[in-house]
Amino acid sequence: MPTALADTLESVELADGVQIHLRVAGPAARSVAWLIDILIFIAIIFILSMVIGLLSSLLIGEEVGNGLLMLAMFILNWFYNVFFEMSAKAATPGQRHMGLKVVSVSGGPVRLPQSMIRNVLRVVDFMPGAYLFGLTCCLCTSRFQRLGDLVADTVVVYADKPMHEGSAIQVNADPMPPPLPLNREEQAAMLQFLERSPRWSDARKMELSDVLEPLTKRRGMGGLLDTVRMALWLQTGGGGKGGRA
Amino acid sequence: MTPKQFENDHGPSWQRLEGMIEQVEKAKPVANVDELPKLFRQACHDLSLAQHRMFGRAIVERLNTLAISGFRVLERRSSGGWERLWQMMMQDFPRAVRAESRLFWFCSAVFWLPFFAFLIITPFDPEWTMSMLGTEGMISMEGMYGEGTNPREYMRGEYGSDFGMFAFYIWNNVSINLRTFAGGLLGGVGSLVILLFNGAYFGSAAAYVNHACNPETFYCFVIGHGAPELLGIVISGMAGMRLGLSFVKPGAYDRKTALVLGGRKAMILITGAALMTAFAAIIEGFWSATPMEPWIKYTFGGCMWTATICYLLLCGRERHEA
Repeated sequence: MPTALADTLESVELADGVQIHLRVAGPAARSVAWLIDILIFIAIIFILSMVIGLLSSLLIGEEVGNGLLMLAMFILNWFYNVFFEMSAKAATPGQRHMGLKVVSVSGGPVRLPQSMIRNVLRVVDFMPGAYLFGLTCCLCTSRFQRLGDLVADTVVVYADKPMHEGSAIQVNADPMPPPLPLNREEQAAMLQFLERSPRWSDARKMELSDVLEPLTKRRGMGGLLDTVRMALWLQTGGGGKGGRA
Repeated sequence: MTPKQFENDHGPSWQRLEGMIEQVEKAKPVANVDELPKLFRQACHDLSLAQHRMFGRAIVERLNTLAISGFRVLERRSSGGWERLWQMMMQDFPRAVRAESRLFWFCSAVFWLPFFAFLIITPFDPEWTMSMLGTEGMISMEGMYGEGTNPREYMRGEYGSDFGMFAFYIWNNVSINLRTFAGGLLGGVGSLVILLFNGAYFGSAAAYVNHACNPETFYCFVIGHGAPELLGIVISGMAGMRLGLSFVKPGAYDRKTALVLGGRKAMILITGAALMTAFAAIIEGFWSATPMEPWIKYTFGGCMWTATICYLLLCGRERHEA
């Protein structure tokens, strides 16, 4: 695949020699996740103080209650994110809602020391206010890493999609061999067109197939039909009717 | 070979791998799990092939997802839990402190110089100390260590119980440690500022007590937990400086790599420092304020200092280190 520079795919070579593409998440999605987490955080504190308040008036006395609350604040403040990042999903509730998760730059799961580093350094990312340092750093690095991510060697990525994608769309057209031999890149472009076109409007499809006028000798609906037929021919290897799109 | 044929040929093995990964991630016992590495390697091979032959987004993305989740499952390590923590505290941490001895002396100097400066200057010119502590600071110092009072009653009044005091010290002191470490990322400046300020503050507190309160109460109170607490502050300064220095002076690495490597070293230091401070908080909360004969307090304090220094100097020592 020719390297595209303007996307957010981060290519990483695994120990097994294969290249994988991590889909790095940007500051916008992460900010929303953070806002959700803050709301959850406040809710937890609120509920905790209610429960501890109730307990202390009934059982343990106000002094011990205050102490418990302080300990809980300490743990929540520094380890809320660590706790959730070490879970199987490797994401806080906010991140899970946004479909994000934290992984090591190597592509492997995030480890406890990494998670602790990135969350303790959150303090610096927050400075001088409203995550200004973190945001600046995010925008300056190719993987959208804030300072804590840089030191911990982690990235926030979109979690994998569910493995089985939606149903295949059948295209009813007869495959047609292209009039000229196409090279590898051209074939790949045709196949991608076939795969992605069901998501576009007809006008957009025709706009793109019009580019192929030298090949199809037709414009508009006719050109589109011929393009799809050629792509089908490529996909099925020159035989069979209909294809998975 | 067309994408379709490719998918038909290899699809079943991908499907098996997908199923296996799903089950392993749910921590269920999986049949034939020893086949997983082989299937994973095959999928990686197929991914490279599909990428090279440009078989289209659907196949490549499916295999990409498969490779990522397979890698994650295979690379999963159990962290070792408590055993690992024990090993870290008994070996790695004291070793890391000794390995950075120059940094230790530097951070100690940054902390102790303002401390002693305040201690020495106050008898001649108490203004500095007073402005450092502020009115409220002075009132609370007098409440704790003044004539006819003792820290236990003052703290009880303030936090209610020994447990409340302990919780406050954890919350306050360990948070300061972690912030000292984080501040190091700003080229070490943040750590230095916090170290200097804490040195000055502790120094002025001690100096003010010498000047206006009852020093014996004060020293009986602080001697027990002083060793782990003060050394904990110095070491968290070290952790921050390690981070800052690897950014300022990356040496043979590029800055990013140096930061990652420095971060790993600093993590051991700050974990150790935070645990030392938490330990100090236990002593401070449950022992230090208990009224007892001064000689018991001083003996205990002396033991604590000796034990802490021995721990840092001797624990996890290797033969060749001598």
